[in-house]
Amino acid sequence: MRKLDVRLLRMVRHSKGQFVSVTVIVAVALCIYILFSITSTNLRNSVDYYYKITNISDLTIQLVKIPQGALDNLQSIEGVRDVQGRVCVDVALEVEEEKERVKIRLISIPDNGGSINKLYSEQKVSMKLEDNSSVILLEQFAKARNIKIGDVIYPRINGRIHSLKVSGIASSSEFVYLMENEQSLMPAPEKFGVAYTSEAFAQSVFGYRGSYNEVLVTTETDADIDDVIDRIEQKLDKYGVKKIIKLEDQLSNDVLEQELDGIEMLSSVLPVMFLTVAAIIISIMLSRIVNNDRMAIGVLKALGYGNRIVLSHYIKYALAIGLAGAILGIWGGMMLAGPISRYYTVFFNIPLAGVKIQYGYIFYGILLTCMFCTVSGLLGARRVIRIMPADSMRPEAPKSGKRTFIEKVTFFWKHVPFSWKMVIRNILRNKKRFAFLVLGLAMAYGINTVPLYMKDAMMSMFELQYGEYQKMDYTIQFNGPQNERIIVDLNNLIEVRRIEPRIEYPFELAKDWRKMTVSVIGVPRQTAFHKFIDMKDNVIILPESGIFITEAIAEKLNAKKGDTITIKSFIPGKDDIETKVTGIFKQYLGANAYMNIESMEELLLEEQLITGVSVAAQADLKDELKDVANISAVNSVDDMYRAYEEYIDLMLLAIGFYMLFGGVLGFALIYNSTIIGISERTMEFATLRIMGFDRKDVYGMICRENFVMGGIAIIVGIPLGAGMIKGMVESFSSDIMTLPYILKPESFIQAAAATIMFVIIAQLATLRKVYNLNFIDALKSRIS
Amino acid sequence: MQKKILMKIENSSKDYKMGEVTVNALCDASFEIYEGEFIAILGPSGSGKSTLLNIIGGMDLPTQGKVFLRGDEINKYNDRKLTAYRRDKVGFVFQFYNLMANLTAKENVELATEMCKEALNIDEVMESVELGDRKDHFPSQLSGGEQQRVAIARAVAKNPLMLLCDEPTGALDYKTGLLILSLLHKINRQLKKTVVIITHNMAIGDMADRIIKMRSGRIVEIKENASPIPPERIEW
Repeated sequence: MRKLDVRLLRMVRHSKGQFVSVTVIVAVALCIYILFSITSTNLRNSVDYYYKITNISDLTIQLVKIPQGALDNLQSIEGVRDVQGRVCVDVALEVEEEKERVKIRLISIPDNGGSINKLYSEQKVSMKLEDNSSVILLEQFAKARNIKIGDVIYPRINGRIHSLKVSGIASSSEFVYLMENEQSLMPAPEKFGVAYTSEAFAQSVFGYRGSYNEVLVTTETDADIDDVIDRIEQKLDKYGVKKIIKLEDQLSNDVLEQELDGIEMLSSVLPVMFLTVAAIIISIMLSRIVNNDRMAIGVLKALGYGNRIVLSHYIKYALAIGLAGAILGIWGGMMLAGPISRYYTVFFNIPLAGVKIQYGYIFYGILLTCMFCTVSGLLGARRVIRIMPADSMRPEAPKSGKRTFIEKVTFFWKHVPFSWKMVIRNILRNKKRFAFLVLGLAMAYGINTVPLYMKDAMMSMFELQYGEYQKMDYTIQFNGPQNERIIVDLNNLIEVRRIEPRIEYPFELAKDWRKMTVSVIGVPRQTAFHKFIDMKDNVIILPESGIFITEAIAEKLNAKKGDTITIKSFIPGKDDIETKVTGIFKQYLGANAYMNIESMEELLLEEQLITGVSVAAQADLKDELKDVANISAVNSVDDMYRAYEEYIDLMLLAIGFYMLFGGVLGFALIYNSTIIGISERTMEFATLRIMGFDRKDVYGMICRENFVMGGIAIIVGIPLGAGMIKGMVESFSSDIMTLPYILKPESFIQAAAATIMFVIIAQLATLRKVYNLNFIDALKSRIS
Repeated sequence: MQKKILMKIENSSKDYKMGEVTVNALCDASFEIYEGEFIAILGPSGSGKSTLLNIIGGMDLPTQGKVFLRGDEINKYNDRKLTAYRRDKVGFVFQFYNLMANLTAKENVELATEMCKEALNIDEVMESVELGDRKDHFPSQLSGGEQQRVAIARAVAKNPLMLLCDEPTGALDYKTGLLILSLLHKINRQLKKTVVIITHNMAIGDMADRIIKMRSGRIVEIKENASPIPPERIEW
């Protein structure tokens, strides 16, 4: 080995504390990168594989009713590969606990198991039912409710309780994420499940004899999906198409995609942040080492070593950190990739299509690390080039002393205590380094603000949606459109504080070539349950005619207030209508449009027909209405809130985990910069000691510097954190969910407290170094 | 016998900027160094000796004037050529040894020879400075005299044209100092290496072939020493 490299190795050994602490940051960066990159690829492969073996439908068509025979017409459409009809209805499930409300979606499957959306169970696809009174239960639901094969479930269909034997338990590719609808924020598998029944059973109990209300379609791989949709729409016009859902917009798939995108984002953003902080520390560390090695560099140059070799000697130190960290991180990432991929597939309930280590990521990981380390090494060690061998033999000339700009404010400066004067001067002495450290620390602070924001956002998303924008206690859905008179009946049946009619129906909204299918909700103009807030935070009232759309819809359709959009009705015999966008309002969960109920009845449905009501009531309506015919669902805001709270508790754990990242960065920055600072200023501290300062005074001075830095970092970190949150809002918002951009002072204060805590911990970790410094020795030796 | 000129320094001056002050370290120095010669540059501290030595060794460039090595003008060298010059032609010995603290004695010598094409056998060189049994020790485990011998071994092992020594005995006691001087004398006489010593110790001049005296950045006297005495007989 070359002697310079021997020296390098010993240099590493000599500064092992710092070397290790920076290596750990690099290792964490690489571990996250490798782990999440491999996991996301494995997951994407698994999802693709799962979709392929279960032959997931490319299109799901919801319609009023379609006879079995009409399906053959679809088969002949260009681009359509396969077609399968089914009956799909949500009903209540009777469970032991009387108060508990559980909903189950009954979906019919053909007797042969079908060829689309095949059920999957333990490596086996396509399951068949035993007989007409048996069901196959969706695995997540069976697990959550501890239902076993052989058990009986009791769905309440049209007021009558049926008993169905569970003959199998399986998972389905269309319910990887088991969520009832867009308004449910997260899966609640014990409250909502899916059971697959025989066609004969479903058709008979739901009144679909010889017909279906949903059609699954797979398309040819080279077919243009939108063209196929257009052709299908034409063919099915008379059957009352409600909604055609593409696989990419399908709820489970959409949430799954978001989750995968989230993992991918994690795999790129966090490593870059960690590597940036590592780079800052490395460059500060190297500039310190080079400064210390000034004479050694002079000797090397005197011996005939050129700039390139000497510079690369120090860059190798940075690369050594990078490589050690990369090897450790890649090893860790690879070790964890298998279990984490497996964990995710279990969590998502999909078969794992094998854990593959993609060597490309390892290559990119090493490349990225080497780039960061080389640049930081160059930044830190570039002074090597300027060191002339002859100069290096002389003691360094004192830096030209100047008054700092603060000192020019004499009135202020006069009142600053001496020890603080030193702190201020020290900070301003090395402005560039100070700026870098502040930036790094601000980043750590920013990282801390994001999870706290997420907690706030989730919390206020719910509170805004159901406390501010929508104030009903229950929404009741009818089996089908009912005459408005039903309100009178309901009023007699239950005790309510207020009741309002509502129409909720899916329509396709279109502007130019952009279109989107959403639930359009009709409510009375003077509604007490709905409050519409526009983007400028003004309350807006529904006009006689026109439509209110959410921000997400406006964006998707590229529609502004005042624009005309087309509402395309799926109801047979109804023409498309044009209407004006009269308002764009805030809604965080789900994407809906609102209209004045009267104009909606008039334009789109039969007059005086409603599909549900919104109710404010104290009593438990779910219980009171459970036997009432014509009611398909009673949704309680309270129930949702409870489920939501459980979810938030789970999230707190994740928040702690993320804050640890910010903490590790903050710690590493403060710890390393303090250690470097101490070793740089040994002479200065020694002089102070001789002048009568004690250890505590010296330590106090370092602490003050770090806290000033921490304070400034927090101030800089506030806009940085707000920016990160903004990025989060943009990347996480989708058609079905918009994160509110709310900046609560509490979260920023909490993040500041966490940052200060990490600074204190790092500070304490350096205490021993200061107390163990041999000041007298330091004074004696000028030569390193 | 006709003496061959190894180096020629012509009207060389050097100014330094130390912070906000400009120091006139060397003024208009001119002289020659002959091959195989033992030269002592004498003068009090601050007289410009080290500056002169640095310029001779290619560690520094004169602000004015010319420096030739066998007719080649080294003050016109670019950084790369200057580095090669230091690597192949010059061996330095410093007052404070300047060894790499985290390399052993032998590794310190190897550090220098790794770069050179015509390096001498390291073990032989270590033996010649009587450090054969101490070669695996780190500088902190060696006495000042031993450290200086390592530094001399490091300079000699490169097999340079000349040895430039900056106060080589400055940090040593009398006896150890004499030992170092004998070693340098031996290298000069036996290996035929040109040796240039700078020192403020006038007595050392007695062992040199030629003495150059300096004061306040100027050469005030260049004197031939017709009968240099062996270092063992020097006293101070």
